[in-house]
Amino acid sequence: MEKVLEVKGLGKQYVKGVYASRDVTFDIKKGEIFALIGPNGAGKTTTIRTIATLLKTTEGDALVSGHSILTEPEKVRECITYLPDEAGAYKNMTGRAYLEFMASIYAKDGQDVIDYVNRGVEICELGERLNDKISSYSRGMTRKLLLARAIMPKPDLAILDEPTSGLDILNALEIRRTIKKLAADGMSFLLSSHNMLEIEFVSDRVGIIAKGMLLETGTPEELVAKYEARNLEEVFEKVVKIREVL
Amino acid sequence: MKFFSLFKKELRDMLNAQTILTMVGIVAMLVIIGNIFSDSISESAKKSGDIVICDMDGTDFTKSVIKALKEDCEANDGSLEEVEIKSEDYAKELKRIDQKQVLIIPKGFTELAKEKHQTAKIRFVQRMTSLAMMSNLNTGSSTAFETFKNAVKNTIYQDKLAEDKMTPEEVKQLEDPVELEEITVVGNKQEEISSSVIMSICATQNMIVPIILFVLIMFASQMILNAISTEKIDKTLETLLSAPISRMTVLAAKTLSAAVVALLQAACFMFGSSRMMSGMTSGIGVDSDKFDQALKNLGLSLSAGQYVLVGVQMFLSILIALSIAMILGVLAKDAKSAQTLLMPITISTMIPYCLSMVSDISALPIALRAVVYAIPFSHTFMATENAMFQNTAVYIGGLIYQAVFLAVCIKIALSIFMSDKIFTMSIGGKKDKKKKKA
Repeated sequence: MEKVLEVKGLGKQYVKGVYASRDVTFDIKKGEIFALIGPNGAGKTTTIRTIATLLKTTEGDALVSGHSILTEPEKVRECITYLPDEAGAYKNMTGRAYLEFMASIYAKDGQDVIDYVNRGVEICELGERLNDKISSYSRGMTRKLLLARAIMPKPDLAILDEPTSGLDILNALEIRRTIKKLAADGMSFLLSSHNMLEIEFVSDRVGIIAKGMLLETGTPEELVAKYEARNLEEVFEKVVKIREVL
Repeated sequence: MKFFSLFKKELRDMLNAQTILTMVGIVAMLVIIGNIFSDSISESAKKSGDIVICDMDGTDFTKSVIKALKEDCEANDGSLEEVEIKSEDYAKELKRIDQKQVLIIPKGFTELAKEKHQTAKIRFVQRMTSLAMMSNLNTGSSTAFETFKNAVKNTIYQDKLAEDKMTPEEVKQLEDPVELEEITVVGNKQEEISSSVIMSICATQNMIVPIILFVLIMFASQMILNAISTEKIDKTLETLLSAPISRMTVLAAKTLSAAVVALLQAACFMFGSSRMMSGMTSGIGVDSDKFDQALKNLGLSLSAGQYVLVGVQMFLSILIALSIAMILGVLAKDAKSAQTLLMPITISTMIPYCLSMVSDISALPIALRAVVYAIPFSHTFMATENAMFQNTAVYIGGLIYQAVFLAVCIKIALSIFMSDKIFTMSIGGKKDKKKKKA
């Protein structure tokens, strides 16, 4: 199957000799949902930010739809969308104006803008509240708007850091279903989450990262079987503990 | 108790290292400016009793007047110096005798004052080198004129007392024995106009440029600093920079919009100020055409070319402010630190702004002058005056320095904006208690 993302030995040192991530290698196929899980400070966000071309890699490379993050970051950015954890939106804009503004950056022509905004309006389900200023939105509403923004241009790869943080159970479920549906339509996802239930429900494959290194990859079922665990949470605990012992 | 706990917590929040640093900075700046003013004032006060005089009449009467004048000066801790003026090219003559001002008793003075009992004219020639308030404290002719008038009165009195008679014409003459004719020299040009009149006209005109520049720099800096720091603080920067748009485009759009808004604000400010100033000058009934011509003849009205050059310096200053604000905006960790980070720009704008209004920067002590010249905005505050007083070397030097300073600032701003530093650099603000996720 066609690979949308190929990460090859990716590493990042903020200070010489101190690795935030090291030798991270994995890939994501078209229509696949890949989740990175790991404890705080494990290197998830650094890896994600590096793939999103926000940070410069100090080792290795990653190809997004065949474009290198090292040599063609502009091309990479045309193929991805990125939703950071705790991201904000422009508070002085209305929700609709924000979607229009972001659509104008991703769109190639005026029709694209209309299509993207219509899709965004549909995904966020904010109805009439889209005409209100974002400053009046709750955290959950802002998160839904940001998710809609990330998904509406139908990128090759959507990178979502904690996609459902701040959402209530029903809204989180709705978002997970949307992600699954879009993946079925061919969009690929790189997720990061602390919510193991979410990861188990939504991901096709999982990568466990700790101390900057990718320790395990596989489907949730494969990993549960390999570590003789009852669920992904136990797998995560065992992998991290083994790593600490080593 | 509850109030006290809350009060203590709020005080601790507000009285942080940045606030203290700001207060220390303001005090230091005000003390420095105060010292400069004090030096200028005491220097001017010291010289206010000094008179430089040229006696072109050379009669016993004028000699007696000068003798009386000398006694007056010495009684007031001043001095009197007699010089020789060889021609009416006063610009050249003042340079030759190395003086800033001279009181001239013209030929025929005695004939009018003593023999015909008429009001006689004396001439006060003064060279202007700056339009700053303090630099012209001693440039008024009133002290010299009043002292001279008293000396003439005394001499006539003494003569009449010796002769023991006084006609009604002589009594009338004593009410107003001397008339003042003032000549002002600027560079190589001279014009029959009082320097104090020039000062009052130019003060209203020249006040606008520094105020506009100050407002422009502050508005533009604040806008770009807010634009960048808000993106960081509100966590919208990562979203924007991961979108298919180059960082250079983001930077250019922000810079240009800040410059446009600042220019609009400056235009409004300029319009309002000019209306205010024209209201003020029309109220005092100044014959503007006559004085405009005098200013033009002295080179104190800017030509179109000079306006362009001053405009270029203004533009450079705004770009420098924008690029510094960009760097500072990246450093902001929260809204409070963003405000504090504006302080270096505020202080480095306030210093030349205040100094250029009240003191002749080019006449400051060399160490202080070096500090002021090192502030890139100083050169724009001095630009109008440098253009008017033909200080070409200072003007060109300032322009080159600003261009180099701008290039360095842009290079630093770009290197930060194009690298990881835009996400990793920060200064001040509350330390993040949460551990970094990655």
